[in-house]
Parts: sequence; C-alpha cells; structure tokens
Amino acid sequence: MPSPALLVAVPLIVAALLGALRRLIPRWTADLLSILTAAGNLTMACWWTAHALHRTQVYWFGGWFPRGRMVLGIGFTMDGYGCALAALAALLTTLALIYSWKHFESGGGHFHPLMLVFLAAMSGFAVSGDLFNLFVFFELMSTAAFALCGLKTHEPAPLAGAFNFAVTNSVAAFLMLTGIAFLYSATGALNLAQLGQALAGRHDRLVLAAFVFLTTGFLVKAAEFPFHFWLPDAHAVSPTPVCVLFSGIMVQLGLFGAMRLYATVFQGCFAGTRIPWIFVVIGAATALWGAMMCFAEHHLKRLLAFSTISHTGLMTLAFGLWSKAALAGLFIYLVGHGLVKAGLFFCAGILLHRFETMSEPALFRRGRALHWTAPLWFLGGLGLAGAPGFALAIAEAHVTPVAPWTEAIFFIAGTLTGAAVLRVGLRVFIGLGDAGPVDRSATVDEKPETNDPGRLVNTVLYFPALACIGGCMVLGFWNGIAGIARASAASFVNFSGYVHMVYAGATVVAQPAPVQSALLKGVLWAGLRGVAAAAVALWAVLHLRIPRPLRWPSHLEGSMRPVRELQSGHPGDYVAWLTLGCALLGAAVFWLAL
Amino acid sequence: MKAGHRLVLFAASALGIAWVYCAGALNMPAWGQYRGPYGDAIAHLAVYQRHATDTVNAVTYDYRGFDTLGEEFILFSAVTGVMLLLRPEPGRPEAKKGKSSGNPASFRDRATLSETVQVFTTAIFGFSVIFGIYMATHGQLTPGGGFQGGVILAAAPMLLYIAENTDAFRRIVSHPLVEFLEGTGAAGYALIGVAGLAMGTAFLTNVIPLGTTGDVFSSGTIAAISACVGVEVAAGFTLVIFEYLREILSREKNEEP
Amino acid sequence: MSFPADYPYFVAAWILLCGLYGIVRSRHLVHMVISLTVVQSSTYVLLLAIGFRRAAYAPVFAGLPVGARVVDPIVQALMLTDVVVETTVVALLLAMVVKAHEKGGTTSPDDLRFLRG
Repeated sequence: MPSPALLVAVPLIVAALLGALRRLIPRWTADLLSILTAAGNLTMACWWTAHALHRTQVYWFGGWFPRGRMVLGIGFTMDGYGCALAALAALLTTLALIYSWKHFESGGGHFHPLMLVFLAAMSGFAVSGDLFNLFVFFELMSTAAFALCGLKTHEPAPLAGAFNFAVTNSVAAFLMLTGIAFLYSATGALNLAQLGQALAGRHDRLVLAAFVFLTTGFLVKAAEFPFHFWLPDAHAVSPTPVCVLFSGIMVQLGLFGAMRLYATVFQGCFAGTRIPWIFVVIGAATALWGAMMCFAEHHLKRLLAFSTISHTGLMTLAFGLWSKAALAGLFIYLVGHGLVKAGLFFCAGILLHRFETMSEPALFRRGRALHWTAPLWFLGGLGLAGAPGFALAIAEAHVTPVAPWTEAIFFIAGTLTGAAVLRVGLRVFIGLGDAGPVDRSATVDEKPETNDPGRLVNTVLYFPALACIGGCMVLGFWNGIAGIARASAASFVNFSGYVHMVYAGATVVAQPAPVQSALLKGVLWAGLRGVAAAAVALWAVLHLRIPRPLRWPSHLEGSMRPVRELQSGHPGDYVAWLTLGCALLGAAVFWLAL
Repeated sequence: MKAGHRLVLFAASALGIAWVYCAGALNMPAWGQYRGPYGDAIAHLAVYQRHATDTVNAVTYDYRGFDTLGEEFILFSAVTGVMLLLRPEPGRPEAKKGKSSGNPASFRDRATLSETVQVFTTAIFGFSVIFGIYMATHGQLTPGGGFQGGVILAAAPMLLYIAENTDAFRRIVSHPLVEFLEGTGAAGYALIGVAGLAMGTAFLTNVIPLGTTGDVFSSGTIAAISACVGVEVAAGFTLVIFEYLREILSREKNEEP
Repeated sequence: MSFPADYPYFVAAWILLCGLYGIVRSRHLVHMVISLTVVQSSTYVLLLAIGFRRAAYAPVFAGLPVGARVVDPIVQALMLTDVVVETTVVALLLAMVVKAHEKGGTTSPDDLRFLRG
C-alpha cells in the first residue's frame, strides 16, 4: 500500500532537488526525472482509486489521530472522487511533460520544478480532508500557476495575462481565508468532518457568511460567471503544456473544492433548503455565456479557454442538481472533458509550433499538410459536443434524466463549443469557405514556445494529443467507468460514511445497485448534438452561400462587440466583477436560507 | 469599462460584501472570549507530548507540519517564479560581475556615506547574522523559528549594500551555493517527513529523540525542520534580492550611452 | 456580540474593503500589488482577533506554568507562515510588473490592453 503522503512528498522532493541542481543537471535528466515522477504519481493515484471503490480510508499526518471528537492533526481522505482527480492530474502532467521533452523552452531550467510542484499541489488538494490544508494547496497551486503562466517573457502580453490571473486569484484566496476564519470562530475546528458535525442544523448568519466567502474563492478558481474574466487572458499567453493543465484539471479542481466543501461542511446546515439551486443558476449562466463567447473567438487558445468555462459551467449545473446519478455523470464528465480539452490544446500547440500563430484567419488553409493532427482536432470537436462514442456523451446521459430541462442547456453549450472547434478545423485543416473575420484579440502572442519552430511534428508532440483524444474515446466505450463513477458518487454524498472514515479510520463503500439507464435516448441526444455541431460549423464557414438573414452563426461570430469589450484586460475591472459576483452570491444565499 | 462605471459597480458590490461580512461578524463569539477547544487542547498537550515550550511552533512544525511544508513550497515556487521571470535573455548584455559596472549606488547622488555609518553598519551585519541563526534555532523554546530567522539572515547582506560595501554584498548574494541551499532546504523538510515513513510511522511523525524541555536540542523534528526552513527562507530571499539587483543593473547598463 | 466591543472584526472588514477599493481604482500596477497586501492584512487582523482572550498570556510556556490561561496558538500558527510566504508572492507579482514595464513601456493598467477581447 503506497503511503498517500508520497503523492505530495515525492514530486516536492524531486522539484526541490531539480531546483537545487539546476545548473548541473542536463536537460534530458530533468525531463526524464520529471516524467518518471509524474508517472509514479499516476500509478499511486490509480492504485488508490481502485482501493477507494471498496474502502475509503483516512491518513493522518504526523501520526496525530483524533482525540475523541476533536481532530488534532491534518488528514487525507482517500475517497473515489479525490483519488480519481489526483490520477487525472498526474496523467495530464505526465503527458504535458512528454510534450515538452527537449525542444520546449524551459525558462532556464525552472519549468520542471514548477510543474512538479503544481502536480503535488493538485494531488494534495484533491484528497485533503482539512479546510486550512485545502487553502494551503490552493495557494500552492496558484503560485506555481502564476509563475508558469508568465514563462514567455519576450512580450508584454504574457506578463499582463499572468498579472491579471495573479491578482484575481489572490483576492479569491484571501476571501477564502476570511471564510475559514469565520468557520473557525464558529466551531474551533479545521477538519472538514468535524466542521460538518459541529455545524449541523445551524443556519445563522455566521455560517452563511462563511459559505459565501468560501464558495466565492473556489468559484473564482473554477472560472464561473462573473468570476471568469481571468481565464481567457491566462490561456491566451500561457505555454501549451501549462494550458493543458489549467483547462484539463486546475479549473475543475476549483469546482471540486466547492463541491467538497458543500458535501462535508455545509450539507447538514443546508439540507432541505434551496441553496443547491445557486449552483444550478451559476452553472447554467456560465455554460451559456461561455459557449457564446467561445463561438465569437478567433484566437485558438482563447476559444478553447471559453469552451472550458462553458463546460465547467455544465459541471456546476450537474453538481447543483444534487443527486447521486448527477454526481456519477459529473465524475465521468470531469475525466472525459479533461482528456478532450487536453487533446485539443496539444493540437493547438502543434499548430503554434509549426506555423507560429494562433490566429484563425492567419492559419486559414495552412493546416492542410497536417494529415495526422486534423483527425484528432475534428474528433475533439465532436467530443466536446458530446457526440456518441465519447465519454462526455455517457456523462450527459447520466445527468440529464435527473432534470430533463437541463438537456437544453447541455445541447446549446455542447453544440456551440463543438461547432466552434469544428469551424476552426474546417477553415484551418480543410480550407473551406473563407478566412473569417479578423479581430484584435486574435493576434495576441505569436512567439513560438519551442526552440526550433517550423520543424516537422514528431512523436513527442503528437503522442500526448493522440493519447488524450484516444483516451476519451476509450472511456466512451468502456463499461467499467459507470460503475466507478457511481461508487465514487455514493461515497461522496454519504456524509455519515465520511465521518465514520475520519474517526474510525476507514469505511466500507456500499456497492451501488446497477442503474438501468435510458441508453437509447442518451445515444439519440448525443447523435443529435454531434450532427448539430457539424451543421452549425458548416453554416458558419459557408456563410457566403447562405442568404444574409439566415446567417446567424456569422452574426454570433462577428459581432458581440459590447459583450467582448467586457474582457478588457484591466485587472481592476476583473476585481470589480469579482466583488459584484460575491455580493450577488451573498444576496442569493441569505435570501434562500433565511 | 470606464473608470467611473467601474467605481459605481464596485461601490454597489462593496456595500453587499460589507453587509455579509458584518452580518457574520455580529454573530461571532465576543472578542476576547476565545472558546475553541482546539487551541486549548494543543496548549495543554504540546509541552508534554513534544517537550516544546513554544506551542505556536509546535503547531506549525508538528501538529500541522504538513501545512507548513506546503507553505514552504509556496515560497520555493514564488522564488523560482521570480528567477524564471527575471531570467537573463540571450542576446542582451548582462551586467558584468566585478568592479567595472561600478557601484550599484552610483545612480544615486555621488555623496559618499560617512565612515561612522559604514563601520557601524558593517558591525551590525555580524550581529544580524548571529541573531538570525539564534532565532532560527530557538523556535521551539521562544517565539521565532525558521521563517523569522531566515528573513533576518536574508536581510543581513542588505546592510552591506547600505554601507556601500558592494563587493562583499555581490559576492554573498550571487554565490551559486545560495540556489543549492534553497533547494536542499526545501527538500530537507520533505525528507525529514519521509524519515517518518521509513521508520514505519506516518509522514512527518516526530521520530528524533525529544530531549529535555527547555533545552535547545529538544522537541525532536521541530528543531530540525525549523533549521531547514531557516536555510531555505534565507536562501530564497537572497535569491530574490539578487534577481532584482541583476535586473536593475542590466537595465542601467542598457541605458548607458 | 455588539458593535463597540467587537470593533476588531469591523476593522478587519474595513481594511478588506479599502484594499479592494485600492485594487479597483488603481492607476499604477505597483500600487495594485500593494493594495493586494492590504487585503491580505485584513485576514491577519481577523484571525488574530478571533484567537484573542482577555487577560491571557502568550502561548509560550518558557517560564509559565502549563495550565496558565493563554491565547489561541492555532491562529498564530496559521498566519505566521503566511506573512513570510506572501512576501515572496508579492515579489513574484512585482517581477511581473517590472518585466511588463520593460517590454511594454508602461505601468498603468489602462495602458496594458494587450489582451482586450
């Protein structure tokens, strides 16, 4: 049984040693050591996920077991959801490090220690059972991310993007600490299980205020509307391996933090109230806003960033439904979306490497020589739409039966985001139609990130993209994923089982009964989404052959100037929106719970 | 967004946040009436369980030592980030080491510092180093510890800079050993934790003999971790100072006609 | 429970709002980073106010008998590492500002419009 501490300790030790010996170690050693460390994390996390399907277990650091009801130390709670997210983080980090083998500009050797620290922080965040420990790993994740985002220092844009990212997320962290302080004063505890028990049934204003600040902090990281403004800026300028980690797992961990908090600390307080509706509303708004903005973008990385915002909104919507089936679907969605998004970013990185630009008009027809990358891009687009054969379709089939009206939101968001990716594919890789409208944001940051740009794509660049898209398709056909998802969802929601695990050491997970899902209906909706995405993409690309009044995709693509002006690039604006979001969240919570 | 609109948006939202905060604060236990069981339990247990008289550091490096490991690595990644962002670019003339680019204070006015100030500041440098080491090693007994001692140690070379003893300053601050010490200090903390694993207990268990309460060599791993953290923090801050200094100097060099 | 007696909590609220105001209205990036540290200070004030106990000693038992009435050591442990660590994070943010000034020639957030969308 590998110690859970190794999930965090090993990457940190290797990162520190790589930093200490930076000038002595050759590039290939740093690459190899990082890849091996990340692969080791992947193995351990997968082992723990398999273990957590039968028994969830707690691990106390320093040997500090609880004294009666009082928890003295910090614990890791190895449950299905947490271990699976740690495994996803390790998988994406391994692929990102393979992608950056040798030719990727490593910033003087500082890239590898920061990536490993980032991995350690994400792994620790996913399985932590202590509130302040969650905060510490949140800060660690953020600091490594700020530094990695600003890696390309040749131009001012990466620094502006990293600065906006840093200011917004730091404000979020301080609001979170305020919430932690409120909860500490209310209960004198920092352990999630102990807090949940101490707060059970308490509706008073202190608990509500703490919930508002803590949830705001996590939702900023999760890039929900209106806290999302930092994400497109950060993605437009970050190097590709870093974008993969941001969109594949970091943003979703922000959502997971809010989920974990609600399911352990606040479940007892808010049981029977309509507080989960807040997540539904925020999720739906984010999904639709993100999808609209995604279609209007012409910078590939910004486009993919908005699609991340949209899909994370869908995940929040699924969480707000607060049912075991929806949470099982959410599990599959997290993994599937992470893989598909990572694959698309790797393909975008290949385009950047070969053609030194990320602008859709500038790339028009230039991708026709990339015969191997093009199929991956198109499959990725279909995967985002939730077409049959991809994990996202399976996930949506679990979620939508819980509340049939959500199918509309999933449909619109999936279709628009998938259509945007397919539209780019049709223009770049096939060369249909014309180059499309040019806009200001499409020309941000065109400096290459590899040492020898323009060189033909080799295995190191291609394999991660193939692995991700392929993985998402494999998940779409593998029957076992539904069982894993259901078991994880069941233990996630089961607070008394969680408390038992924390105080008694371990809990046996009740194997959930197999659910008869409406398979045919799910496949039909999935097929409809795939077809709709392809149709909208073709409609946008061939707009000149369509009569002007019917050209709505082109209108969506070309206009929306006042809405797009909101992404102003000014950090003061972003923080102003953040405070607005916090105030609105506060109003909603107090109205619904009092 | 225009500045005026932003202000209006912020003003409305700030009222909301203030309302939520005050609603929470009014429901908190009265100020000065801390009731919580966690702090009192630790205050009663720490001296007996860990032979450490400073319970704050017992919490920092033992009871919640895993948090502090994370915090130490936040410092490590921030320092690495500064080195990453301010790294020298190929093709740009770097500030040459040695005397040729002159005194870094040369961009100030040319009035020289009086000898009294120079002598005293250089003397205080020695005292600062000793005081920093004292703070870092006595954290388990009295308020102090690795973080505080490390910052004092890192601030000591700045006294040399103020005393215009720039050669000594530059030699200390740009030494390649500093980066090595930073990495090993950070790794050292995690390796002490792994020592617990190697002995069959949990990560970061206090496996070193605890000694007598009140002695410098007491409280087991608390003292050892505190020392590692002191080394890492001192080296980390020194690296940050060096990176900024190099950035300023290379800018000066580029601006010279 | 009442406003005058619990004033430290409201001081913390005021500091938070001042810091946020500074970030929102800032015209210089360095000023914005320092406003961020002001926001951070509000969390320290809040944490220490929560752990305070009247007529109690510091939780250091060198020379103090073990059963004595002390303030809360947990909040002090939570924030003391934060103070040092956040200084380096501020150094990271200022490094971004320095580089942005070098490459973009400006330190005003209004002029840093490279990422307008």
